[in-house]
Amino acid sequence: MPDTKKKPPDENSMFGDKLPTTCTSSDSKPLNKPVHSVEDDSQPIKYGELIVLGYNGHLPNGDKGRRKSKYILYKRPKSNGVKPFKRHLVTCPQSSKAVQDSALHSVSYTLTRNKAIIVEYQSDDDTDMFQIGRSSENPIDYVVMDTIPGHIRCSSENNITQSTISRFACRIIVDRNPPYTARIIAAGFDAGKNIFLGEKAVKWYSGDEIDGLTTNGVFIMKPQGGFAASAQPGVWREVSVGGGVFPLRESRPSPLKSCQVITDEDNILSDGTLIDLCGATMLWRSALGLISAPSEHEFEDLVGEINAGRPQCPVGLNTLVLPTRGSLNLHDKQPYVYLNCGHVHGKHQWGVLDSESTRTCPLCLTVGPFVKLQMGCELSLYMDSEHPTFCFNPCGHVASEKTVKYWAYVAVPHGCHGFRAICPFCASPLLGNPGYVKLIFQDHAD
Amino acid sequence: MAGKRIKKELIDFQIDPPAGCSAGPVGDDIFHWQAMIQGPPDSPYDGGAFKLSVHFPTDYPFKPPKIAFTTKIYHPNINSNGNICLDILRSQWSPALTVSKVLLSITSLLTDPNPDDPLVPEIARAYKTDRCLYNKSAHDWTLKYAS
Repeated sequence: MPDTKKKPPDENSMFGDKLPTTCTSSDSKPLNKPVHSVEDDSQPIKYGELIVLGYNGHLPNGDKGRRKSKYILYKRPKSNGVKPFKRHLVTCPQSSKAVQDSALHSVSYTLTRNKAIIVEYQSDDDTDMFQIGRSSENPIDYVVMDTIPGHIRCSSENNITQSTISRFACRIIVDRNPPYTARIIAAGFDAGKNIFLGEKAVKWYSGDEIDGLTTNGVFIMKPQGGFAASAQPGVWREVSVGGGVFPLRESRPSPLKSCQVITDEDNILSDGTLIDLCGATMLWRSALGLISAPSEHEFEDLVGEINAGRPQCPVGLNTLVLPTRGSLNLHDKQPYVYLNCGHVHGKHQWGVLDSESTRTCPLCLTVGPFVKLQMGCELSLYMDSEHPTFCFNPCGHVASEKTVKYWAYVAVPHGCHGFRAICPFCASPLLGNPGYVKLIFQDHAD
Repeated sequence: MAGKRIKKELIDFQIDPPAGCSAGPVGDDIFHWQAMIQGPPDSPYDGGAFKLSVHFPTDYPFKPPKIAFTTKIYHPNINSNGNICLDILRSQWSPALTVSKVLLSITSLLTDPNPDDPLVPEIARAYKTDRCLYNKSAHDWTLKYAS
């Protein structure tokens, strides 16, 4: 259960937390105190995490407010979910009560210039709602901007020309009761609590069904076999404004819906589901699933065990150190790798061929790029808690074998038509086949 | 880098010297070593102790060390000046090689000469055409110069 990590109730019972419910004795003085459930006193219940791929723990210029590399969904103090309630056919949606009333959530499906269906929503005490999009307006809980892959990221942040992420891209509705099922739905409510699907948006209306798609769409991919070491990537699907699941359109903003709703699939976020907003891809980790990810402490131990072998540079014969966080300033202890063979060295200038990036490995004479190793620090992206002994090509981000192999198989949407495998820590497209390499350390024992 | 690396090699060499080899600096100059190789048991050099000089270039390990026999030896790939014809000391040098690994390679060169790339053609011819004569000469030289 997601709440397994909170304090067991009996740990506190002697201090009165549970007294009012377990003890009816009249001399107990806190009897008239309001009954606190355990969850009120401890950490709020964590539903899960959304991790934007490509940031490795923090945004390039630091996490700021609602803009950060990872968003944790906690149970809200008070429910704020909404559910469809009533449907109206109107001639002028802008002047209808549901649209104008800023307390009322509604979705307007414009059919023609003077004909629209408005679906009125009502609050749902059993669910919490979390909204995601590019807008920094209040209704957006998690502000997500276009991800620039690590290999083309430059120091100045202003290199996004035009965003493809919707300002109100999607919303996630989570059941407030166990098992805290989370569902993703396309489009988010704006400050006026409205969603408008314009005349040109893809939508369909058949008497008893009204639904539509957003311009660039919200795609999801659920791994087969869960987010575990044995996982296989699943098929990408599109989620509609009504929460239905559809095959992908011919191209991303295509005005043609490909075909009928897929009835045997749903919009429930399972651990490891990828959510693509056309410009940024997020990973959903459920609180339960995260138990299998290494904790900071476990990860430090795993890295420590590799360092305890005192790996050394075969050329400088100096000891190398794998950092646990980012790339600290390790000077000559910083490990580098020959990407085509995996031999780990310190930095040196031998074997440089035509360009700085192509070198001959002194150990096996394989020619290839020579890059700095950087730790994959965003532990929520790990498939297991094994030693980080593999790295991605071309960026040199280090993670466990299963983690690297899984991500190398996952095709992530890129632009309007394409898919490609990327390093989840920096979003650089993977190079070569298989796109990763096993690190070969020369241990001191050799 | 050179000085640091040579010092590290020396420490490693002293902790774990390769079989039948010894090496260390001559005097205070860390860039100039003397090494000794024992003749391998399965070769006509058995029983001999061969001295070599090791000079490290200033850009070591990016350039190979200059290694030469100072003890006379009868071998198709080692000439009268003690120069050794061994690819890893020339074109096939890699900075991942160490004096320890090179001495082991030289030891195996004593066991298995390479007569197709000779430095001394007469010895190579003897090795190829009259192995008994070669063995005897090598053994005699070992007794005479390396014992």
